[in-house]
Amino acid sequence: MRRLPAALALCALAAAAIGAVDPARSAAPSEPASRVVAMNPSLAAMLLAIGARDAVVGVDDYTRGTQPEFADLPAVGGLATPSLERVVALSPDLVVVVPSFEQRDFRAQLREVGIPLLELDPRRFDEVLAALRALGHAVARREQAEARVAAILRARDEVERAVRDLPRPSALLVLQRDPLFVVGRGSFIAEMLESAGARNLGASLDGPYPRVALEWLVTSAPEVLLDSSRDATPAAEYWKRLPSLPAVRADRVVGLSPGTATLPGPWLDRGLWILARALHGDALPESAAP
Amino acid sequence: MTELRVEGVSLRLGGQPILRGVDLAVRPGEVLGLLGCNGAGKTTLLRIVTRVLAADSGRVWVGDTPLERMPRRELARRLAVVPQETHMPFPFRVGEVVLMGRTPYGGAFALDTPEDRRRAETALTKLGIAHLADRSILDVSGGERQLATVARALAQDPDVLLFDEPTAFLDLRHRVEVLGAVRELAASGRAALVVSHDLGLAARFCDRLALLAEGRVLASGAPAEVLTPANLRAGFGIEADVVPGPDGAPLVVPRVG
Amino acid sequence: MTVLSVRTLLLTLAALSVLLAAAVVFGLGVGSSGLSPGEVWDALRGQAGDGAAADIVLRIRLPRVLLAALVGAALAVAGVSFQALLRNPLADPYILGVSGGAALGGVAMLSFGAALGLGYSAVPPAAFAGAVAATSLLYALAGGRARFSATHLLLTGVVLNAFASALIVFLASVAGFTEGASIFLWLIGSLSGARVELAGWVGGFLALGLAASLPLARGLNALALGEESAEQLGVDVERAKRVLLVATSFMVGAAVSVSGLIGFVGLIVPHLLRLVIGPDHRLLLPAAGLAGAAFLVVCDTLARVVLESRELPVGAVTALVGGPLFLFLLRRHTLGVTR
Repeated sequence: MRRLPAALALCALAAAAIGAVDPARSAAPSEPASRVVAMNPSLAAMLLAIGARDAVVGVDDYTRGTQPEFADLPAVGGLATPSLERVVALSPDLVVVVPSFEQRDFRAQLREVGIPLLELDPRRFDEVLAALRALGHAVARREQAEARVAAILRARDEVERAVRDLPRPSALLVLQRDPLFVVGRGSFIAEMLESAGARNLGASLDGPYPRVALEWLVTSAPEVLLDSSRDATPAAEYWKRLPSLPAVRADRVVGLSPGTATLPGPWLDRGLWILARALHGDALPESAAP
Repeated sequence: MTELRVEGVSLRLGGQPILRGVDLAVRPGEVLGLLGCNGAGKTTLLRIVTRVLAADSGRVWVGDTPLERMPRRELARRLAVVPQETHMPFPFRVGEVVLMGRTPYGGAFALDTPEDRRRAETALTKLGIAHLADRSILDVSGGERQLATVARALAQDPDVLLFDEPTAFLDLRHRVEVLGAVRELAASGRAALVVSHDLGLAARFCDRLALLAEGRVLASGAPAEVLTPANLRAGFGIEADVVPGPDGAPLVVPRVG
Repeated sequence: MTVLSVRTLLLTLAALSVLLAAAVVFGLGVGSSGLSPGEVWDALRGQAGDGAAADIVLRIRLPRVLLAALVGAALAVAGVSFQALLRNPLADPYILGVSGGAALGGVAMLSFGAALGLGYSAVPPAAFAGAVAATSLLYALAGGRARFSATHLLLTGVVLNAFASALIVFLASVAGFTEGASIFLWLIGSLSGARVELAGWVGGFLALGLAASLPLARGLNALALGEESAEQLGVDVERAKRVLLVATSFMVGAAVSVSGLIGFVGLIVPHLLRLVIGPDHRLLLPAAGLAGAAFLVVCDTLARVVLESRELPVGAVTALVGGPLFLFLLRRHTLGVTR
């Protein structure tokens, strides 16, 4: 009873950590792809953002269920349960994936079948931008991709400028409440927190998304607490049970709707502004916000 | 006067008649041996007397009370059972096993009373295993374990004792010891019913025998009256000579070939 | 002849209470933040104001120690009950499928709760509902006949567990990736979600489990001789089995619903205790409650501190401690050196 589900759930955990292979591995063809299957929500969102919706013929079930623009596409299986047969039946000329553990057999089989595969692993800020560019290249939307990248870089400059003279509050970004996971170091979110003018207390921990003890969170005493966990209880209400937290006392607990700032997708510019506003509130110059 | 009385008990199981109007009576101070080949109905009869099964017709009396009207705990104080073998999953001490015989006397959570302790100690001494009291029941021999089970039944202080082939798995010395203990219990005024396959020992240790065949009592009475060549042929389907043993009890000598 | 006296009973329980008290002091005093004993003491007396020490001691460590103690007690008592009921020293609280039902309920809520607008706090009620459903099913399937056979019960439970596992695998397969991670971590067993309200909930069912099993303690001793022998000793075996099955299942369901599947407590604690104090259920049942509580408090405290700021699920600690210990005991047992 205790063991059986573990193996499968472990796969899901690996998916949450998103991939483990070098980001630039690519077998994309030189011809632009016009029948693309995207097997990851971030990559699918990027294709959408660079105006390549019409080139997408299939997405994984999770993306299909969470991004309405893809709702009319045929089902090709979930992130952990991709259906090779359905993907092949769509006769795609490119499949874009994140090199996750649970899709490893799927990728090997695609290679065997001879379907071109583009593996992207957007974990750090630069890798997200590189993934946008790589997709733009693959589906011949280079200009749109460059425009998106430029917008993100511009937003980063603007945010950094806007917060330059503001105090840098110590902060923690909670990804999940129980068990407790926070943003550590070495991820695009950690970099965005720094750009948005926070001292990320999680940077002292190992790993991009470490699990921590609640006691550690109290001891580290963040001045701002950001909470993007999926839970019905609002963040301010949930954390007020720990009145010693400076963030609670100063009423600086901010709930972020899950996925807005914490997905390595095409809208990092919006994410940066969301974080900046959450960290600084009214101190942020009115004119600075887009 | 307390005794065990079986009156016209019949039972069909799966359409097959297993018992057909069995009558038996065990008097206080008496050991009755119940004989018969496999499938004769001995075990079924015992299961009816212990209320595991209910008879289709007929009645079992414990003293003046019909079996089915006797409350569970009351029955446990009047009638004790020694099975062939006890499989014990936990390392209870021999003394603790004997004390389990006091279960029908105590309250729910009740700790053992001085009376319980006295009865258990007496039973241990009577069966010659007082020195094993603090040993784990899992560490003593099969014979010693069976003696402990008899001691447990004795601690139960019943009027009637039922033994279901109590010596089936024992060597000769332990058979004699266990059956000797049965005799002694009867001597103190209890009624004992012993199911046995060992005709020689049954003839020696029982006051009367009853031979069961095809669900009926074929013969009952003193050992010499029951163990006749004709009864053995009808009850067991064997040819055998019966000769008087050195102590006068009949000795069954099956013919070979 | 050694018999269980009031003196032995009280002395043993007193000794185990001291052990539990020491475990509680350890659990309250130790944590990743390194508060001094003085600071902990001040916080406990309510003299730490609203500083971090008050939050850490009163709102983090205290609920956790309390919940660990109650869950540990419930699992150990349930282990003793099921072992006696099934006459099998290797039975554990999760053997009869109740845990499978609870796990399924919890996993279903973790998978779909967010979609239904329900948060993490909906997981314990869902898990408990799963446990109740599994118990009802077990009762109907194994108890729907004239006699309630232990073998039947065991086989039904094993199949229920396997079936629940299959459904859990199914749910985990279709869940999104954040849900998948939550499911995995929840199944290992953790007390990191400890809240005082949950302690009251588990405590209530622990009381029910003890209230049902303690009056049956003497009958459970007789049950070790076999069901027929126990019946012949005046024990209402059918009633005992039904009462114990339901009360213990609810107790296990409550424990699993707040902490997931914490392994080995229900197996190792009864086993160790039988070696030390013997198998008499009149002593073993209450002793298992105290020792199980102490064991889980210590394991959970280790889970909180061995990796400094990071935290292990307590189920991993009990398995790391309990697994080798159990194998060692099993080896001794097969060699016949039981006592």
